[in-house]
Amino acid sequence: MWNSERGCEAPKRGTISKKGRAARLGTAFRALIALSAARELQYRANFFASFLGAAFWLLMAVFTVSIFYEHTEVVGGWSFWEAAVLLGVFNALVGVVEGVLRPGIGSLPDEIRHGSLDLLLLRPIDAQLYLTFQEVDLWRIADVITGFALSAYALHHLGRTPSVGEVALFLVTFLAAVAILYGVWLTLMSLSFWFVAVENLSTVFDAVFEAARYPASAYPSALRLVFLFVLPIVWTTTIPASALVGRLSMSVAAGCLFIAAATLIISRAVWRLALRRYTSAGG
Amino acid sequence: MTAVAVWSKRYGAFIRSAWMVDIQYRADIALWLLWGITEPAIALGIWWTVAGGGDVDGYTRVSFARYFFGVTLINQLTQAWDAWYIDHWIAEGEMNHRLLRPIAPVHEAIADNIAYKARVGTIVIIVWLLTAAVWPIVRLPVAPERWVLAAVAVVLGAGIRFFNGFAVGLLAFWTTRASDIIELQMAIGVFLSGQLAPLDLLPHWVASVASALWFPYAIAFPVSLLTGTGGWEHHIVQGFVGQLAWLIAWWLLYRFIWRNGRKEYGAVGG
Repeated sequence: MWNSERGCEAPKRGTISKKGRAARLGTAFRALIALSAARELQYRANFFASFLGAAFWLLMAVFTVSIFYEHTEVVGGWSFWEAAVLLGVFNALVGVVEGVLRPGIGSLPDEIRHGSLDLLLLRPIDAQLYLTFQEVDLWRIADVITGFALSAYALHHLGRTPSVGEVALFLVTFLAAVAILYGVWLTLMSLSFWFVAVENLSTVFDAVFEAARYPASAYPSALRLVFLFVLPIVWTTTIPASALVGRLSMSVAAGCLFIAAATLIISRAVWRLALRRYTSAGG
Repeated sequence: MTAVAVWSKRYGAFIRSAWMVDIQYRADIALWLLWGITEPAIALGIWWTVAGGGDVDGYTRVSFARYFFGVTLINQLTQAWDAWYIDHWIAEGEMNHRLLRPIAPVHEAIADNIAYKARVGTIVIIVWLLTAAVWPIVRLPVAPERWVLAAVAVVLGAGIRFFNGFAVGLLAFWTTRASDIIELQMAIGVFLSGQLAPLDLLPHWVASVASALWFPYAIAFPVSLLTGTGGWEHHIVQGFVGQLAWLIAWWLLYRFIWRNGRKEYGAVGG
């Protein structure tokens, strides 16, 4: 870290230990978030608008699900209120996607096209980290909060209080789901190094993620196979929600963690591969 | 030259240029199409499970499959993205050079729609035919008279959605949130136009709200004519009367907004 005592003097080669590097990343991370917060706090009225908007869209989503349950008690083994728990998880993940992933990594295709990626790569900080948190739409936390509120309300309706273990399992699998979504976005967006002309890569994600509004078991078995092997993001809502309603087995949870780790590693590899062949688009 | 010849020449030029632009962005079109296919596919997947071996208020798996294949096609053929374009034109100052042309921007937009729909419509029909080759239940019972009526209904439905989108997009002359309004309308339209479920499976109050608005005339009605399922296939006269009424209503609204909006316009940027 450059502070006043050390001036602008560059650290000698080898003096930055692993720990120093981590601390520097931590500082950069905090600074980026503070910057986003400062930017957003200029528009305080947006805060209330965000909550109103989030509540409205959530009600629409509940209404959508309720239409199917007008005609049946259970869909794929899930009752209406169990599906509502899942919908809350979906809403919270949407908040993460819209608040962090889309404004952050989602801006990669634009950065490449406009040449501003070059400036970003010159910064003395890991470009992936910078890109991820360069802009965070903090008000989207409204989606996370209303989503969790819906899950809690639905659990209350089910007369179910998850045990400490189940809540822990939920938190772990929820973070794993976030990691999977992050890895999928990083991979998709890295594709824009190869296909600069494709403007709407995130549309692929949006289209497929829509299917995660419903439990994976609600789909016909042929579709479920597609979801399991081709489009695993559909499971990102089913697994954490299963933890809350008490039907998640340890082996599935472990599998979820394994997939999360694999997604992160693969996406990082794709990103580095893409960067290595990047020759700058000018700007 | 007669007026017809002049206009067909103009439209020919617009359609060709729209086609050229589309070809540059063909990957984008494939992505939008993917989005247009997943939504009905998800709805069909859930109804398929709910119906099981029996039926839901008379809808079996077969009728759901036909209905939602129809929704996919008709939605693409009537979909209009113009509201977003107009919002963008006005916000970015791209409306200016369009206003200077001796031909109203609405004609460019109509030609764009014809080019886009010819392309995506063909793709969806090919996908449908290929699916039908291996999956007999999505083959439609032959009904040529009804299909002719369906073709007419598609044109009218596309007209409703076009002028609806164009009029709402033009609200950008006054507000910077025109695209929010169209997005809200689109979200409500998913229920009211029958994209999530055939209208008679919705709660009664929703179905009656829907039939008082233009949404079902743009999608549910043509889908019912095409597939013979969806609830509107027995209300052909009512369907066409509703279509004409809403088409005229949105066309008049579009003209009203267009005339007054231009006076409001200050030509931002360039």
